[in-house]
Amino acid sequence: MSEAAAVKDTPIEHAHQGFLKTYIFSTDHKMIAKQFLLLGLVMLMLGGGLVMLLRWQLAYPDKPLPLIGISETYMETGETETAMDRYWDEQFSKPEKEQSWIATRMPAGVISPNFYNTLFTMHATIMIFFVVMPILVGCFGNFLIPLMIGTRDMAFPVLNMLSFWVAVVSGVIILIGFFVPGGHAATGWTAYPPLSADPTWTGVDWGQNLWCFSLIFLGISSMMGSINYITTIINMRAPGMTFMRLPLTIWSLFIVAILLLLALPVLTSALAMLLFDRMAGTSFFNASGGGDPLLWQHLFWFFGHPEVYVLILPAMGIGSEILSVFSRKPIFGYHAMVYAMVSIAGLGWIVWGHHMFQSGMNPALGTTFMISTMVIAVPSAIKTFNWLGTLWGGNIQFTVPMLNALAFVSMFVIGGLSGIYMASTPVDIFIHDTYYIVAHIHYVVFGGSLFGIFAAITFWFPKMFGRMLGSKLGKIHFWITFAAFNCTFFPMHILGVGGHMRRIANPLQYEFLQQFEGLNIFITMSAFTLGMAQLIFIFNVFYSMFKGKKAEDNPWKANTVEWTAATPPPHGNFAEIPTIYHGPYEYNAPGIDEDYLPQTSQATIATDGNGKQ
Amino acid sequence: MLDWLPPSISTVGGEIDKFFYVIYYITTVVFFLVAGTMIYFLIRYRYKEGREVKYTHGNTTLEIIWTVVTLVALIVLALVSKPLWSKIKQELPPSSTVVQVTGKQFNWEILYPGPDGMFGTEDDYQIDNLLHVPVNQVVHIKLKALDVIHSFFVPVLRLKQDALPGREIMMWFEANKPGEYEIPCAELCGFGHSGMLGKLIVHSAEDYDAWVKSTWPEN
Amino acid sequence: MAKPAEEKADNLTIEKDVGQGLPPILDDDSFGNGNRSNGGDSDRPINSAVLAMLLFIGAEVMFFAGIIGAFIVLRFGANDWPPPGQPRLPVVVTGINTAILLLSGLTMFKTKRLLKDWHREKILHGLTITALLGALFLAVQGFEWTRLLGFGFTLSSNIYGTVFYTLIGCHALHVLGAVIWLTIVASRLRMNSPAYSANNHVGIKLSGMYWYLVVALWPVLYGLVYFN
Repeated sequence: MSEAAAVKDTPIEHAHQGFLKTYIFSTDHKMIAKQFLLLGLVMLMLGGGLVMLLRWQLAYPDKPLPLIGISETYMETGETETAMDRYWDEQFSKPEKEQSWIATRMPAGVISPNFYNTLFTMHATIMIFFVVMPILVGCFGNFLIPLMIGTRDMAFPVLNMLSFWVAVVSGVIILIGFFVPGGHAATGWTAYPPLSADPTWTGVDWGQNLWCFSLIFLGISSMMGSINYITTIINMRAPGMTFMRLPLTIWSLFIVAILLLLALPVLTSALAMLLFDRMAGTSFFNASGGGDPLLWQHLFWFFGHPEVYVLILPAMGIGSEILSVFSRKPIFGYHAMVYAMVSIAGLGWIVWGHHMFQSGMNPALGTTFMISTMVIAVPSAIKTFNWLGTLWGGNIQFTVPMLNALAFVSMFVIGGLSGIYMASTPVDIFIHDTYYIVAHIHYVVFGGSLFGIFAAITFWFPKMFGRMLGSKLGKIHFWITFAAFNCTFFPMHILGVGGHMRRIANPLQYEFLQQFEGLNIFITMSAFTLGMAQLIFIFNVFYSMFKGKKAEDNPWKANTVEWTAATPPPHGNFAEIPTIYHGPYEYNAPGIDEDYLPQTSQATIATDGNGKQ
Repeated sequence: MLDWLPPSISTVGGEIDKFFYVIYYITTVVFFLVAGTMIYFLIRYRYKEGREVKYTHGNTTLEIIWTVVTLVALIVLALVSKPLWSKIKQELPPSSTVVQVTGKQFNWEILYPGPDGMFGTEDDYQIDNLLHVPVNQVVHIKLKALDVIHSFFVPVLRLKQDALPGREIMMWFEANKPGEYEIPCAELCGFGHSGMLGKLIVHSAEDYDAWVKSTWPEN
Repeated sequence: MAKPAEEKADNLTIEKDVGQGLPPILDDDSFGNGNRSNGGDSDRPINSAVLAMLLFIGAEVMFFAGIIGAFIVLRFGANDWPPPGQPRLPVVVTGINTAILLLSGLTMFKTKRLLKDWHREKILHGLTITALLGALFLAVQGFEWTRLLGFGFTLSSNIYGTVFYTLIGCHALHVLGAVIWLTIVASRLRMNSPAYSANNHVGIKLSGMYWYLVVALWPVLYGLVYFN
């Protein structure tokens, strides 16, 4: 470690480390955060692109895609009219083995049933594991933890770097899956065996194997990240940064890290068994060989339910942060917020059965899981009421991050309320595996997590990149997204009530779903709008990164420690390790001239007669 | 929104719908209360230079009230849901009509035991995708799966149950309106999942007798 | 676990060594134990590397919980256990083997007690014996496995073989990993590597913690799998 000795006396100088060490194999938590952000945004575009194809199929089942599909003339008369017609003509004249990638998946521009299954499988896998997790946990966990607790970096910077690169390996594996013969995994993100356990049922061979390998690697990456986060938060807080002075964002990330650490190994064990079934001839999930298909569901959802909270908790923390800042008011019920998150982390382990009410699991267990599920709704309700309490009596600034945070709260309310229907076992009999579920998860994961992501990116952008994110484009993006989001996902509740099953490629095959053709087209149009609107966001991010207005150190006048660092923070973050004197949300405190009070300020808050602040 | 529910033709369908409505009314009211409060706050407390801000860290009494109220409401909801759930999934009212339904890629294989009431005998009658049942009688379904998991879903009966390879799951229903209805598969079962579709034919008592006579003429 | 840290931070006299030292990234501790640079908390309740190891062990336990859970579901879901016509598992030999592994746990325990006073030779001796006992355990396991395989009892022969080889195999892989780790630690210690000294032997401690994990897991698996 001679390098260490060299820079011992000049802690800031070492920013110049050459391209590779600065941008690629960086151990700086802020650079790793940006790498995760880039990974997430690229994957967001891929995951979003897949779902556009999927929505086309649902609105216009078995019709050729625009632009790449065959023309009507070709269909009717067999005469080639467009360039694509000639392309398809040429493809069909070849033996199947030599046809192009696109021709085997979308012959004549029509999405084949198996490719449709691949589309929703990979849409969910990518969005959950490669968008929401890398951005909320990977990017903001990395960026915020050291900055917000007032330290120079993670406890294990090299481990941190490895965590990112293992995630990249995992991402590359999942991408390779698109190009292997037999196609990519097509059994849903839940991969229920026996469908997923034996290639004969789907025709998918290596796609599903790679899917398993990819998630195992992602599990390793997450484990490294979680260990790092927990250790850093426990051991490296700045002097005075007690647990009850931690920003709620850090609390949420702390709990998420614990959930990830303990939940993902269970998934890893299940994936290993699935791989054994697929590749070594075992029969863990094969009933005729003495196995049990329900075993997978138990293991998967034992992981899966904590995972759901992994996706939403950071957004809750971020939402709380931003609501408090832009209401210029302390968060309402800080302790209640913390206890709510802690109880979610505890209860999250005993509710997995609510995904399995209709699975053939002993129905007596259904009642138990129904009760625990109802109980776990309470902490979320508490949080919602506290968010309202935070707005009450504030001085609310409608900045772009605030708009997104408010959208997060209101959409999460809808997602939470629609969950109650499923928790009630008799109602679940009907809506299980329908679009009601699809609506619910999208209100939670898009309306919750993704608006949380938008809020977080727009809020911390100045600190990350030293420039302000364009607020005009930000507002345009927000309003289009908000409207298109609701037009896309709210009607899905109606589809669900009508009994529209999820994961079907062609609703028009069913008589009772004929009435929904128009609604499906409307949803698809909204989804296209929603997808297009994200291009505005991507453009805004990359444009502002280079051309945005230079940001001050504390543009939002916020209290938390990261805003006392230089913008953007140098390697090592702080010139001096800060000392913490206050909680994170002391806005408009009595006896303070400014309407905010940085955690590092030594000023004291005037107390009232009761000795309360 | 609940106008979109398919018609209910089973004895328990109405009860399920009742729960659906109750939860619908509760959640709608809660949503409008929360959203209304939020919008009111957003307008009432919108940014104004020099506005007096209420400096408060919360209110323990309030926290306790809303925690207890939501907790009690949700637990009550769970407890009142329980009897209906048990009735549908845990109890098995006696019946003389038993049909075996086997999910397979991508059809429902329907097997009648025939007049002797036993499966595996010569008078069994097997057909794909057509489930004939009498109206106003409890029907038992012995649900199996041959290859992968399927889900037996009859929207008008409000009935859904996954079919698992290696297991036999008994379930029951009582249809109270003759007619033809669809039986989609509700669990992803492969590339033919979409379009895996059976037909439930609920016969009036006479029609059912006629169907039985035509199917097993020698008896 | 973190309680004392909190109190400490609360009573902290503010000016105490704030901002001294260097960024943890550049600290010369290979385990990233950079906390000393962060406000002089070398007296914090738990060493970062030890904490990280505890967390890692927690994740490992959850992994085993997954496969043990699978075993329990399949074992008690089966009508006949073991399925008829299966070779009997070597209960006695494995029992003796269990004793060997437990003994290695004891030798590791004794070795770790020597760390504080830094009896380098004795530590090296203890690590070597522990690793050898582990290797012996693996050898006996391997021998028994080849016998079972000789009977045609394989991973894919039936569900009994599947869960047997999965559970016991997973554990064996972990023992193998732990033996390799101990061997590396022992040889570095033998070569007087600067990584370990009287003041800094956290690396040895970590390998010991991991060794406890593989030792502690074994009786559970032995009891579950070998006794029907």
